[in-house]
Amino acid sequence: MMNRTTWGVFMILCWLVGCQRPYQFAGTLLPVPQPAPDIALESVNGPVSLRDFAGQYTFVYFGYRFCPDVCPVTMGKLKQVKADLGNRGNEMAVVMITVDPERDTPEALAEYMAYFDDSFVGLSGDPEAIDAVGKPFGLHYHQHQGSAASGYLIDHTARFFLLDREGNMILSYAHETPLDDLLRDVRHLIETQ
Amino acid sequence: MKRYLLFVVLLVGLLVQAACSNSESKAAPITVENVRANMTMPTDTGSFWMLITNNSDTDDALLGAAVDGCGVIELHDMVMENDVMVMRPVAGGKIPIPAGQTVELKPGGLHVMCMQKAAPLALGTKVKIELEFANAGTITVEGEVVEPAMSSGGMNNN
Ligand SMILES: [Cu+2]
Repeated sequence: MMNRTTWGVFMILCWLVGCQRPYQFAGTLLPVPQPAPDIALESVNGPVSLRDFAGQYTFVYFGYRFCPDVCPVTMGKLKQVKADLGNRGNEMAVVMITVDPERDTPEALAEYMAYFDDSFVGLSGDPEAIDAVGKPFGLHYHQHQGSAASGYLIDHTARFFLLDREGNMILSYAHETPLDDLLRDVRHLIETQ
Repeated sequence: MKRYLLFVVLLVGLLVQAACSNSESKAAPITVENVRANMTMPTDTGSFWMLITNNSDTDDALLGAAVDGCGVIELHDMVMENDVMVMRPVAGGKIPIPAGQTVELKPGGLHVMCMQKAAPLALGTKVKIELEFANAGTITVEGEVVEPAMSSGGMNNN
């Protein structure tokens, strides 16, 4: 049995050689990083693929402009994460891919994203292309009939994803993930990788 | 003199108590607090959140609302089903407000949904919202325009 002195020496040694626990991400780590699909979607400035964001840590979200609060809450949190990163904020990108390409034109999306941050990118495109991009993310969405005023409403995956600097999907986040946890994860990645 | 003072104190006390119990029995059947308008975004939609308390012993229900600048208003609910966000008009088109209970309209949940929004509103703007209840009739309250993300009060409690 270890006495107190041995235990103390052990702890000091531990501290010296740094037996720290590995970093615990707030998001869910993918067992194996998955390359983001290299499929062009439509931005206001022309075709853009998720691979074009390589070099930055990139958050990917699927949503639509009609959604009055779930989508904006996520965008608002990511805007704050970027702001809190200070001068390293430009090492992070945010992309929202619409699940409502019929109503969300690249122009309308650009205006919507700029409301949060000038650097945020909105992507629209053919439904087939959006489905193909969404597939590796496990994107689920479907329209259901609304009223005369809403036309239709869309149920959609509210999880969002993080791509590393090489354009690989590495983490996914539940909609409720607190701002502080997102910030901690991104900061850890930017500072240690 | 001392007696006279004591009498005055007692009288004042009685009056205050009467006033209090009086206002209690006269409490409005429905009170609406913490009204927030999520109306800043450059989109056609917006939403309103609030706390609605039914102080009476009769069940009531919110049936609808009207706001200048919202072409159409519906009562919606939002739920998360296995990471999928689902927004739908509430069942029967009304939000029940049971007797003696408080119902919270909040981000990611029940909301008064503004559609065909005429224009975005600036942060801090005061907005009047007319609420229609099954029993309590029409109640007009004022809300303040807030940021869509800030509104998530419970965000850090999860
Ligand atoms: Cu709604």
